[in-house]
Amino acid sequence: MPVNWKRFILILAAGAVAGLAWNAASGRGFALGRSVLVQAGDELVEARDAKVLLDHGALFLDARPRDFWRMSRIPGALSLPEDDFDRAFAGLEGRLRRAGGIVVYCSGFGCEASHVVARKLRERGFAAAILNEGIPAWQDAGLPMDSGPRS
Amino acid sequence: MSGLARHPRLELVLRVLLGGFFVFASLDKIWNPAAFAKIVYQWQVAGPVPSNLVAVTLPWVELLAGLLLVFGAWRRESALVMALLLVVFLVAAASVMARGIDVENCGCVSVAKAETTSSWLPAWTKGVGWFLVSRNLVLLGVALAIAFAPPEKLSAPR
Repeated sequence: MPVNWKRFILILAAGAVAGLAWNAASGRGFALGRSVLVQAGDELVEARDAKVLLDHGALFLDARPRDFWRMSRIPGALSLPEDDFDRAFAGLEGRLRRAGGIVVYCSGFGCEASHVVARKLRERGFAAAILNEGIPAWQDAGLPMDSGPRS
Repeated sequence: MSGLARHPRLELVLRVLLGGFFVFASLDKIWNPAAFAKIVYQWQVAGPVPSNLVAVTLPWVELLAGLLLVFGAWRRESALVMALLLVVFLVAAASVMARGIDVENCGCVSVAKAETTSSWLPAWTKGVGWFLVSRNLVLLGVALAIAFAPPEKLSAPR
């Protein structure tokens, strides 16, 4: 008996419809039109606008593990890794209080670290924007990276 | 691989195992769609909105195809749907590996963070790597064997 391609398509279509219906009606779904990483209170900034902030003295914070920051970073960015937040924050708190603005970034739209770090900063009284879609968006906008070693 | 499916009982066992695996793999993702979406993001194959659609629909296709295969309905078509999914997974895994992206939990069967999933499994079984590719190749072989098994060898009415 040959493959019935109508059935094949029907399985795919029925699965997709069931998924969309479950997402809409189950109470466990989420908004499909934006990243699930974005929560209420998160302030996103696009790469070009972030560059303007950088040029006006905003402090950039790299939320990736410190080894990634050592290898490459947005110019002038300091390391505030999500996985070592409390210790790194204690060392940076003075700089953060003097900063004219704060932008947090990580490795892309799949990276949650910048959102987590921005929220932790907000809990401590610091307003911090999140670079939307992180380093790839920065590079796609033709903006520079520092790749020299840092310690 | 198709020779394995020439015996009705063996075909039945393979069908239940493959279908059952897909059903099992779908449940946690269906129950936690937002957590699964975060995992899909980590693959960085498509942007947030396409990834959201994948996260919401893919587990239900897995569930439906798995149930059909387990119960022996539309078995060729459901096995081919699984084969299609496995080919997509293989291409995506190759892309992730080629780009050097570190995905700790592939989201294949669970949305739990890698360090909190069952500890008796080593970490390399959960991420995107050669283990995942090898497992999917085996599953793909089983799916194709079922999809193209000779009609007279199938174990139940078609």
